[in-house]
Amino acid sequence: MNTQTITSSAQPRPETSSFDSDTQQLWLASGLLLITGIVPALFGNAYWEHSFQLMNIYIAVTVLQNWLFVDAGQKSFGQGVLLGLGAYGLAVASGVFDQPIAVGLFWGIVASAAGGLLFALPALRVQGFHLGFVTLSAAVVFPQLLLQMDDLTQGLNGISMPMRGLSEPLLLGVSTLSLLCTAAPIIALLFHYKMRRSRLGRRMRTAAESPEAARSLGIRPGVMSSLAFLIASVGTGICGLLFVPAVSFVTPQSFLMDVSFIFFFAVVVGGRGQLLGPVVGIWAVFTIPNILLVDLAHYKPLVYGFITLFVVILFPDGIVGTIEEFRQKKRKAGGGERAFHLTALTDWLSALPDHKAAAEDEPILTVRGATKRFGSVVAVDRVDFDLRPGEVHGLIGANGSGKTSLLNILNGFSRMNEGSYHFAGRDVSKATAPAIAERGLGRTFQTPRVFPSFSVWNNVRVGLDARETEMPAGLEQILREMEAEHADGMPTLLSHGQRRILEVVRVVLKDSPVVLFDEPAAGLSGEEREEFSKLVKLLSRKLGTAVVLVEHDLELVWSIADRITVLETGSVIASGRPADLVRDPAVQHLFVGGAHVDA
Amino acid sequence: MSMLDVKDLTAGYGDIPVVRQISLAVEPGEILLIGGENGAGKSTLLRAISGFNTPASGTVMLDGVDVTGQPPEQTAKQGLRLVLDNHRVFPELSVHDNLRLGQAAGRRDPDSFAKSLEQIHDVFPILKEKEKQYARDLSGGQQQILALGQAFVAQPKVLLCDEPSMGVAQMLLPPILSFLRKWAESGTAVVIVEQHLKITQPYTDRAIIISRGEVALECPSQELDARLADYNATRMASASHG
Amino acid sequence: MLGDLLMNLDMITTIVLRGAAVGSLFAIIAMSFNIVHNATGILNFAQGTIFLLGAFGAFLFANRAGFAVWIPMLVVVSLVIGLFTAAQGWLTLKPLRSSVEQNSWIISTVSVSVIIAAVLTLNFGVFGNMVHGPVPRVSIMGVRTPGAFLLAIGSMFAWYFILRWFLRRTFQGLAISALSQDFEAARAAGLDVRKLQLLAFGISGVIAGSVGFMVAPMISVSPDAGLRYVLNGFVAAVVGGIGNNTGTLIGGPLVGIVAAVTAFYIGGAYQDLASLLVLVLILMFLPQGLFGRAAARKV
Repeated sequence: MNTQTITSSAQPRPETSSFDSDTQQLWLASGLLLITGIVPALFGNAYWEHSFQLMNIYIAVTVLQNWLFVDAGQKSFGQGVLLGLGAYGLAVASGVFDQPIAVGLFWGIVASAAGGLLFALPALRVQGFHLGFVTLSAAVVFPQLLLQMDDLTQGLNGISMPMRGLSEPLLLGVSTLSLLCTAAPIIALLFHYKMRRSRLGRRMRTAAESPEAARSLGIRPGVMSSLAFLIASVGTGICGLLFVPAVSFVTPQSFLMDVSFIFFFAVVVGGRGQLLGPVVGIWAVFTIPNILLVDLAHYKPLVYGFITLFVVILFPDGIVGTIEEFRQKKRKAGGGERAFHLTALTDWLSALPDHKAAAEDEPILTVRGATKRFGSVVAVDRVDFDLRPGEVHGLIGANGSGKTSLLNILNGFSRMNEGSYHFAGRDVSKATAPAIAERGLGRTFQTPRVFPSFSVWNNVRVGLDARETEMPAGLEQILREMEAEHADGMPTLLSHGQRRILEVVRVVLKDSPVVLFDEPAAGLSGEEREEFSKLVKLLSRKLGTAVVLVEHDLELVWSIADRITVLETGSVIASGRPADLVRDPAVQHLFVGGAHVDA
Repeated sequence: MSMLDVKDLTAGYGDIPVVRQISLAVEPGEILLIGGENGAGKSTLLRAISGFNTPASGTVMLDGVDVTGQPPEQTAKQGLRLVLDNHRVFPELSVHDNLRLGQAAGRRDPDSFAKSLEQIHDVFPILKEKEKQYARDLSGGQQQILALGQAFVAQPKVLLCDEPSMGVAQMLLPPILSFLRKWAESGTAVVIVEQHLKITQPYTDRAIIISRGEVALECPSQELDARLADYNATRMASASHG
Repeated sequence: MLGDLLMNLDMITTIVLRGAAVGSLFAIIAMSFNIVHNATGILNFAQGTIFLLGAFGAFLFANRAGFAVWIPMLVVVSLVIGLFTAAQGWLTLKPLRSSVEQNSWIISTVSVSVIIAAVLTLNFGVFGNMVHGPVPRVSIMGVRTPGAFLLAIGSMFAWYFILRWFLRRTFQGLAISALSQDFEAARAAGLDVRKLQLLAFGISGVIAGSVGFMVAPMISVSPDAGLRYVLNGFVAAVVGGIGNNTGTLIGGPLVGIVAAVTAFYIGGAYQDLASLLVLVLILMFLPQGLFGRAAARKV
């Protein structure tokens, strides 16, 4: 048995994470924003001061769009609408109806949140290009509506609303407005930075990267995307509030389709998901063309259209992303990755006392008469299935015999047409996957769901994020070591087998009394198979975890299962202890050369 | 020189290796049977040979030409035709149109199409009877026949056949296998991947068994039964000790 | 009394005709979406500005022309736009091979749409241009109807049947259908996937461009009009079920009539808002569309 210890744990953890350069990018971006926001005012240059105020508001909007696009996986072409709703909310309430500014601010936020709801509601149901079209439609419709509802918006004339007090110098000639406009994108960046490092942020991104994996961890992807839209909407609406004093008046012309395109394109050109991206992106598609084409305003859309097309085809990672990738490559050439091992975890498990679960315990999971049809095909046909705490239950059968379909019923991905399903004392026949996951069921997938945008440690951590129970004392120390070890690890450098092991650790940390493994041994090396078998045995013996194991590797199943069920065309054809089953013709059938074609 | 010559092929999905260092060769007129349990890597092997997965290393030579890593539509045009498992046809097209599309991988010439069509209709009259029906309305076995017929129209040099028995009623298997036998004897190199070895083995010349992505044994087909019995006996013995 | 009723009838006929004609355009855009979507899985956001290119073709080369000029120009303009769209397809499909980001096509098709609109604006300004076509007005149920309305409705059916014939009878068409039914089996059978996808892009360009050319007299030929058509075309496609051409025959006119009724009773500026609300409602309650087949769920 392989018991090599990890020698690198003695290394001190680097100050800043080198998995990503978020921290450096945050500093760099904030520095640039401070310079552009403050320096022109120090020199009393009113033109640049004003230009950079607007630019920095745009950057703040783009930062939120970047977060929405990458960290929450939602594509929106309508951020200009939300900016406009914030601005018009304030301008209509305070500029037209003479309400106090505080009331105006309130209405601005309400208006942008309401607009966000229009995006958020369909996001509960659909994804991808559907939402692209919804948001694009909104961006087309919004200026039309502003013109049409002229008793509120004063139509094409717009609403003039100078707020001179804000432009008075406050400190060294810098006005309150300039400070606010500089603070807005920095706060947005901090939000993005902090969100990435929070449980909610990780769960949102998990939902964006793999909705199935998210649901198996108790996350509801629709809720996550709606919430992301709402947060980004309110944030963008707040930028809209700042837009009013920065420009002194609002007209429908300020919120045409082009504005929304600029935000979206800036994200792409700057580099999707890069913290510094929005700053560089707005400079590239908005500020520089504005300066260079000051007399040729009509050429602006052409220029940013071409820049974006050029970037998406030649440098899909954007400006910052391409530089970042270059740096990462150099780093990769430098040092090797640390392998991901289970040794610490299995050692800890081995030291635990045996779990008191006994074979005569009540089943934790009971399925009766489960039937699942897809059209005329019966994938699962009146299956009865029991699982007791601590039991390792192998599920075998030919391709298409219904193993994965049954697994999907157990974790709630698909709902039975008939039959009942009780789990942990409750009827969950109609429960959703996240609800079943929350009651304590975990699963892995045929292709491991490992997220390249997370470090190795964060990939494991999404399991911890889903944990509902207290952490046992000994485990915390192991996790600290694992964090020190893998906080910077790039999952793309892990071998396939290690990714599987990583996914297994994730499910173990979620602390699930029941774990479903879907072909866990496929692609594992001999050594990794050993490691995996040992872990499964320890889980059942020490933690009392009940395991369902769908696996083609019959030797592996025979060596670790307490009970084996054989499926054929959706029905159970045999079930029993491994030793008893080995001579069963139904099982012989599955061994190579043992297959007779029965009538 | 063999018609199909595979050397040291390692391949998988993305960077997941599923088959490692597999070599095999098939002559014109010969049927090679590849067996192995579910998940052993049989389908992956065929998909890597035909170009669906790019091999990580190794070479695939087709009639002396290196086709390693070419996309499947290109290898098909050069005369290597994969028939996928699960009797996959184009469900919303008629039986006749499915056969018609078979020409994509061969010459598009009405005369030779008419001739191939006639030959297939002779062997499987059902395809003539149901000519105008949608392929989705055929039974699994009929769809498998249709998929093979579509490949036959292309007159490939090498035919790779992934689990022809899957979803096919038992009574249809002997005619399908003897069709493949006759097809091979006309000078085509045929590879059949199959789990149902007993029924397939008599129609084939040589056999390879794959386990966990590697060649576990290789022998003439008539020795397969005996060799497998030994092989399984050793394996079960070691499993019950593990 | 009778006079009122007749006037009402006239009005209803006018609204329905107008809605159906405009809706036919949405249906045609939806069909041009479908052929590309079925072959590639992509929805070309530039389809609206491509449609508009056809209308600008009519404005430039066939304004006030008789049939003798109009018909040859229609053919030439449609083919050129078809080639242009195939080139766009080539560009769009290019990064998909290597990039990790699978949604690059959304960005590249949107940016192409922006570029076309920007080029048109530079050359023709932002305002609408009037185009006169050779098809005269006709009287339908006593309502004088612009000839372009009939062209719109007629070309919806014409393209529907041409596509049906193409996709079910010709070798290339069958091959494109095969791509959408089983992509892997199509590749195994040796179908030239990339060429067929470019052909699908080209055909979608010919469809949108030819109809844009023919109906130029009934639309506002201005650079920013493209977005309106791409969005409403998308709504029509979603209502009919994406990928389903028969669905567009209902989806298109339905969206057109909703827009026409909104324009009549509430105001022209609310038409697109009405379509947006239709889209949101359909997505929330019938995401597969009225006629879309529920895809079997795969995990």
